[in-house]
Amino acid sequence: MTYKIQVDDVVRDATEEEAAAIDAQVAEAQAQAKAQADKAVAREALLTKLGITADEAQLLLGGM
Amino acid sequence: MTISATTQGLRMGVATSTSRPTVPFDGQVISETDTDSLQVYKGTAWAPVSGLTLITAQTIGTAVSSVTVSGAFSTTYDNYYINLSGGIASADCNLNLTLGSTATGYYSNYSYQAVSSSTVTVGNGSNTTSFTSVGSGSASVLSTHIFLQNPFTAKITTMSAQQFATSTTQYTSNSLGFLNNTTSYTAFTLTTSTGTMTGGTVRVYGYSNS
Repeated sequence: MTYKIQVDDVVRDATEEEAAAIDAQVAEAQAQAKAQADKAVAREALLTKLGITADEAQLLLGGM
Repeated sequence: MTISATTQGLRMGVATSTSRPTVPFDGQVISETDTDSLQVYKGTAWAPVSGLTLITAQTIGTAVSSVTVSGAFSTTYDNYYINLSGGIASADCNLNLTLGSTATGYYSNYSYQAVSSSTVTVGNGSNTTSFTSVGSGSASVLSTHIFLQNPFTAKITTMSAQQFATSTTQYTSNSLGFLNNTTSYTAFTLTTSTGTMTGGTVRVYGYSNS
């Protein structure tokens, strides 16, 4: 993928190496987002199984 | 002694950081043109009169995926404050921070919470390619506040960041971490996790060492 990057006042296309570094960051961010989404789904499933709300779970954990 | 005027100002001695008075006296004040600061001599060394000094302000261009600010860190300061405000992003995104060209060894914990929810979501990055989620962007805002300790000094760099995101869901976020090396850096880069950013200004301030 082509990226436009800025170094101080200069805006230019990223080199292959710079684009690869951005790709790595994007992939990492996507992996983190997926992990969080998976965790949220698992949390919702557990709350449903327990029959309590998120706020009630926080109360149980002393988080509120 | 009273010095008073309504249409005139007091002019300090004017110098640069390399042409300061060679035999300064305690309490002497100069206006330093290359650092745009007032400096006071504190008996053994010169120090900025202000505790927080603007080092550089970089305006972000149009539709860029990243912005690199060079010459941000130097021997003058150990600790820095980076503020990004104004500007917008092409999509809801996080901003990642890298120092120099280092793409490994970043460790951080982060948490975020929607303003409409009591649920806090936490995450971590272990030996990642950047400090992730140090800022955020959306169609209405680009935002981050970052504090960096020792990016230039040959010590491990520590980072703390806060942000407020106005994406589909408004939320606040905190991020804390460190870069596990003792490399001396002069530049940093903010990169979007997706999409591009346009406009806004990155301002870098140095905390006075004395």
